[in-house]
Formats: sequence, structure tokens, C-alpha cells
Amino acid sequence: MSVVRAAAAALILLLAAACTAPTPPRSQAGTTAAGTACAGPQGPPEAERATTVDVIEQAYFCILGNYYSGATLDARSLLTAGFLALTQEINRNGREVPEATMPMLTGDREADWTAFETAYRKITDQVPDLRDKLAVVTLEAVVASLGDNHARWIHGDERPIDYYDGDGYGLGLQLNVTRSQVDGSSPRVVPAPLFVTAVEGGAAQAAGVKPGDVIEAVNGSTPFVGGTATAAIAALYPRYPEARPVELRLHRPATGRRWTVPLEPGLYRREWADLQVVRSELLDDDVAYVRMTGFAPDSANRVLRAVTGLRNGRTLSGVVLDLRGNGGGSPAEAIRLLSAFVHGEVTAYQCTVDGACAASRTDDTVELLHLPLVVLVDHGCASACEHFGSAVKALRAGRLVGTRTAGAISGAAQPYLLANNTVLSFPSRHHLGPGREVVDRIGVPPDHHVVPTPQDAAAGRDPALTRALALLNGPR
Amino acid sequence: MRQILALVAGLVVLAACSAPTPPRSEGEPPSTPAVAVLPAPTGPHPVGTTTLHLTDASRPDPWDPDVDARELKVTLWYPAAQRGGQRAAYMTPKESELLLEGLRVTGVPADTLSRTRTNAVADAPVAGRDLPLVVLSPGFTKPVSTLTSLAEDLASRGYVVAGIDHTYESHATTLSDGRVAGCLACDSDTDPGFGARAVEVRAADVSFVLDRLPSAWEGGGLIDRSRIAMAGQSMGGAAAVAAMLEDDRVRAGIDMDGTTYARIPRSGFSRPFLFLGTPQHVPGGRDNSWERDWRLLTGWKRWIVLAGADHQSFTDGPLLAPALAVEPLPGVLPGARAAELTRTYVAAFLDRHLKSQRRPVLDEPSSRFPEAGFCPGTCGRS
Repeated sequence: MSVVRAAAAALILLLAAACTAPTPPRSQAGTTAAGTACAGPQGPPEAERATTVDVIEQAYFCILGNYYSGATLDARSLLTAGFLALTQEINRNGREVPEATMPMLTGDREADWTAFETAYRKITDQVPDLRDKLAVVTLEAVVASLGDNHARWIHGDERPIDYYDGDGYGLGLQLNVTRSQVDGSSPRVVPAPLFVTAVEGGAAQAAGVKPGDVIEAVNGSTPFVGGTATAAIAALYPRYPEARPVELRLHRPATGRRWTVPLEPGLYRREWADLQVVRSELLDDDVAYVRMTGFAPDSANRVLRAVTGLRNGRTLSGVVLDLRGNGGGSPAEAIRLLSAFVHGEVTAYQCTVDGACAASRTDDTVELLHLPLVVLVDHGCASACEHFGSAVKALRAGRLVGTRTAGAISGAAQPYLLANNTVLSFPSRHHLGPGREVVDRIGVPPDHHVVPTPQDAAAGRDPALTRALALLNGPR
Repeated sequence: MRQILALVAGLVVLAACSAPTPPRSEGEPPSTPAVAVLPAPTGPHPVGTTTLHLTDASRPDPWDPDVDARELKVTLWYPAAQRGGQRAAYMTPKESELLLEGLRVTGVPADTLSRTRTNAVADAPVAGRDLPLVVLSPGFTKPVSTLTSLAEDLASRGYVVAGIDHTYESHATTLSDGRVAGCLACDSDTDPGFGARAVEVRAADVSFVLDRLPSAWEGGGLIDRSRIAMAGQSMGGAAAVAAMLEDDRVRAGIDMDGTTYARIPRSGFSRPFLFLGTPQHVPGGRDNSWERDWRLLTGWKRWIVLAGADHQSFTDGPLLAPALAVEPLPGVLPGARAAELTRTYVAAFLDRHLKSQRRPVLDEPSSRFPEAGFCPGTCGRS
């Protein structure tokens, strides 16, 4: 997952969210203060303006009024996190404000905001040149303090001027440790070694890096200490505008070669075949293999059309659905796809903080395929992908092969437009599996654990797929 | 991970945006359905039109892997020898039905668009010699007939116009055997990189049509092959950039409000180019692709934005809207004015670069066309 794709994605989200203009479902629990209510984006997006304390106020009451636990959370935690970030940013700029002390908060949400705002204004007036930046870090910290992998504030996303639709940004490689593990949205851990799983283009391709190459050091630091991944790995997934070269020490087990190479982050072109959200082919003459990289609009129908096409004129022994790296998308698409394999079941629950749950059910108007299903999953299968995976497992609609899913499925996020035309998004309900099991953070464990190795990556082997085919047809 | 979520979430809603249901009038559909009438061409020549079906056996169809050749329908508009004769159909009733269905227009008879009154005479003999050629490419999901008003006007001014229906990229393309191909490419149109793929396909379509046109059409010998340009709306405009980069027979190009996808080499590109767009396409706007390309265009270039234009102002869309009982949006250019502006600036560009004629309207704002702003200097936000 490249940074540019992420930035572009955020932009698309902004743009697109505005077009649909859904009124987001509101939680019944909270009441926002007068004049600070937030609503779903409406109409075409307008130019983003600087973040001010008024925008922070709107976001604060927006969270308290609409977020999953907004009615019950201790609002002081939001303000404290924001205040801490504010002081840190002042110091980060080599400055100090003697008056930058935090008033006691009482637990009265409105009075606490007033106290916070008074202090905030006094402090930022002392460093007017930092005002915009301070507002940004404060609001970022408020949102981050929710500790929710579907809570985010979308703002200031920029793309390089020479960006083309579909381009990646970064070093041009994928690793056995995903970006989401590095940025904290997925708590998955992997054992050493760190290695390249795919080369997409860019600097990695130009330098002759290959799948299976083991990364022994990143900018001189070891990627694992005592078996635990270190922050050094984060440098391998730079985000625009980060452009400092990253130095890799590489080892190619097949040849014994060891070398060091600097890779410069940048835009790189990706192939159409890699970009298509749904791709299919016939394997072993009777297995429909469908790779799906996201639960995009109409993607469930695309998968079903692909299977139908492959089934035309032959008898299939089963379907392999490759959801490795599938970052999720629309829960409706996950439900629709599930409904081709199982009917009359609950696929998930969406629960309020006080435990009132609404059930998502299969759409029994979707025709059943009546085919055995094996789903390939990994640490990159997140959100709607985990909705799908957890339901396949719990409802025995198929078998999961690979590694545990990301555990990034707090709940479906709703967008809210803030006064400076940035967008805040977070869930009002949290997600549970069909048996009310917790999927967020924990993830979905595969039925058959198949771990990628550098040897397989170097040889172009796909043992998870091999296992899937064996499950459908027996070993050949 | 959340980035991926955002991406996909974005895709979800983007699809909803790309095919908006036009605003409808509140009233009942008129009891006598209105018929759209295209404005008369402004040039001195009578206009003829004909269609060709060409098959490129050198490549499989890019959108239907089960078809081992690419079939294209090409509509030609050209200066005709004389006036009079049967005017050509705008499209078939079936194409009208499928297009309206694809655009989610309801409440009017399905064949409404096929009854649109055109000006070109079907299969009239061609007149003239050493005629300059303009390739036309429509927006994604649209047949090239949605550019008929522009095509007829250019033909009346002495151009041969070759409009390409890019098979499977439109809701309705009638093939040589009478089957009507639908929009298979719509299957993947929300995928990242789709635009780059589509313009690559269209560039290949254009080169193939240029290869075949001289021999495939009886008037082909009258075309001056050294004077070829391309214009298109939306994806068709983006395709003009791609086609010029791939094929140096295309001497000049026009993009009408299309986000661009083809990669211009960093060393630059010197053939003449016109960006003609809506106010969405000013510098610093939502779509940065014109700014990106502008820096790489090193030859004659213009970037003109029309106040009050919307994405369909460069097509027949606003002219057809009344017949579809679609209310114009407030503040948007009326159809007749939109057609006049589009015809004026497109023809001026072609006259200048294919006929070496002076066209001052391209050089500075004009009191006759106050809607036109010249970017990046005098067109708004930057």
C-alpha cells in the first residue's frame, strides 16, 4: 500500500463522500452543543481552509455527540491528549510558552471545553507563527486518543504534481510486514526475518531487489530486536512528501549475496493487472480463482460474474477467493458476496456502547453458487474483509488459509464535514462477528496456517494457494 | 490499512458520482414527447455522414477476453456535394433505449434520442479534396453521436470528421452483425489506473482507424493525411493526449474537460494542444492533471475555461435535455450557447493548426465570448 495511493484515496474519499451526501446515522445517545453539530458532507467539496480552535471545538462536540462511546467516554481524555500534543509541538519547534499550563478539567463537557479554549487561545496567541500547525496537531491528537482504527481526520492530503491515477509512492516494494502493522492500525506481529514479498516498481525495481530478499538492516538499524519488530521498519513505507533515501542491507539466501543499497522514495507506475480490484482465472482446469483487492462498489457482483464466466461449459470443483491484502470497503459488498455461499444467517452485529446490537443478515435473493469455498487471508485482510472472513469461518461457509487477519474492524465509519472543509470519520457502532465474537484487534485466525517464507517468495511459489487447491481437489 | 479502507470507501461513493441522475422536472412527462433539434451547422458546406465497421485482427478485444479481434464503429461526417436527401438518424431506437437506461433517465419514451433531428444527409457523396481530418472521441459510457452538433459543424467548415465508438466503453454500440455491445469496461471503471488503461486502448483504436480510413472509406482518397487532429470530451479528450503521444500522424489535439491520464515525457511535448474546460478545471482546482500536463507542453498551447460550462456543455447533452424532460441546472450555459462556444473554439484551433489561418479569438479574451477565460493567467483561482 503506497502512500500516494493513500493520499489519493483520502482525496477521493473527500470528493466522493461529498457526492453521495448520505445523512449519517446518528447515535441516539449524545446531544451536541448548540451550533457545533456536524453533519455528513453535502454537495461538491470546497477548498480546505486552515484549522482553527473553532474547528477543534466542532470536532470535539461531533465526537461526543456521534462517536460509538461518545455518550459515555471521559471527555477530559480528548482534551488532555490535545493539550499534550500542543505543548509537544511548541517544544518541537524549539519554543516555549510560560503560560502553557493546563487548567483542571471537571468532567463537565461544556465547561471543560470553555476552560480548554481559553487556555488554548492564550497560548497560541504567544506563538502566532505556529498557530495553524498547532491546531492541526491538537486535533490529530484528539482523534488519535480514541484509539479506534476507523477514526480518522482527513485533511491536508497532497499529491505530487506529477502523480498519475494508479501510481504508487514509496520504495516500490511490499514486505511480510504490512504498512498497517507499522502505523499501528493492525496489531499483528510476524517473526523474523523481514523480507520482500513483492516488487511493484520504483527504486526497488531499479535496484534489482527481488522477492525473497531478506532485509537485515534499515538505515543501519536492525528490523528486529529480541524478536520484536522495531520502528526502523516504518522507514520502508515512506509517505509523500517524505523523500529521504532509505538504506537497506540485503541478503539473498539463494546466492548468499549480501549488499547495501540506498532506495529513494518516489512515484512509480503500477501495472493494470495489479490494479484491477477483481481478477480471475481458471486453475487446475476446474477451480475458479478470484483475487479481490477491495470490497469496492459492485465488486461482489464482479466476483460472481467472474465465477459464472469460468463455470460456463465446465463443472467447477470449487472457488478460491484470494483476499490477501484486501483492505476492505463496503460492508454491503461483503454481505452480498457471503450470500452467494450461505443463506438465512447473521453475518455480523453492530453494537452500541451499551450493548444494543443490530444484526446484518445474508441477502437471500442472491443465488447460491453451491460450490466449495477456500478463502486466502493474511495480515492485510482488514475491515470488510474481516467481516467476510469471520462470517465464512463462523458460518462454515468455507475454509480460511493463510495468516490471521489484520484486526482493523472497529466499526463502519461515517463521514462528518467540519467547518474548514476537512472530514472527520468514525464509527457510531462497533463490529462483532456472527457469534458476537470480537474481531477488532484480535483478527480472524485461519483454519489452515500457512506462513510466507523468503524461500517461497524467491522461487515464486505460493504455498497458501497450493494448500487451497489441495483442500478442494486433494493433492495432485 | 486505513488508507486502503479509505481508498475503497472512496471508490464506493465515486461510482455514485460518475453517473449522476440528471435533475428531473417535477411535472408529468409531456403528452407529446418533445424532439431535440440540433442547431444548424455554421460553415458553408452541406454535410454528409456515413458509418463504417472496421475490425482490427491484430489484437484481442481489451475488454472482452473471449473476442480475439477489436471491432470498431466509425461515424464519418464530411462536406457533401449537395444539399437535400434523407437526414441521418441520430442513433438507433435500441441505442437510445440502452443509453437512457445506462444514464438512468426514465419517464420519456425509450426511443426519444433516436428521434433527435440532425442536419447531415445519410451517405451523401463527399465533396472537395485535400480535406483535413479530425478524429472525435466521446466521453466514457457515451456513443460518439453525443458529439454530433460539433461534428456536423466541423464538416460544414470543410473538415472530415471520424468519430469513433470505442466498443464496450459505451452503453450502446451497434456492431456489424447488428448486435449491440454494452459497457463491459464499466465493470472496472472505478479501479485505480482505469483511466490510463482506457486511454491506452483508445490510442490504439485511433491509430488503427488512421491506418484503415484511407482505404476503408470511398472518400478516403480525399483526405490530406498530413493534416490530422483529434478532439474529444472527457475520456475522449484524455485519449487525444494519449493518441498524440503514440501516433505522430496526429498533429494537434483538443481535450474538452477531460482529466488526463497519458504520461507526457519529462522532456516535453511540442505539438499544439488546447485544453477547453469548465471552471472545475482552473489551476488549483480539484483535478491537477491539466496543471501537470501544462508544464510539459512546450509548443503552441491554450488553456481556456468557459464560465457557466458544465461537463456536458461540450456535448449534445444540453441540447437533448429538454426532450428528456431534464431541467437545466441554474447558472449553467444554455444548450445553444454552449454549442456555439464549443464550435467556435474547437474550429478556431483546427483552422489555425490544420489550415494555417489566423484566429485572434484564441489569443485573448473576446467581447463576443466573455465566458472564455485564459488560464493560467486570467481564469480565476491559481
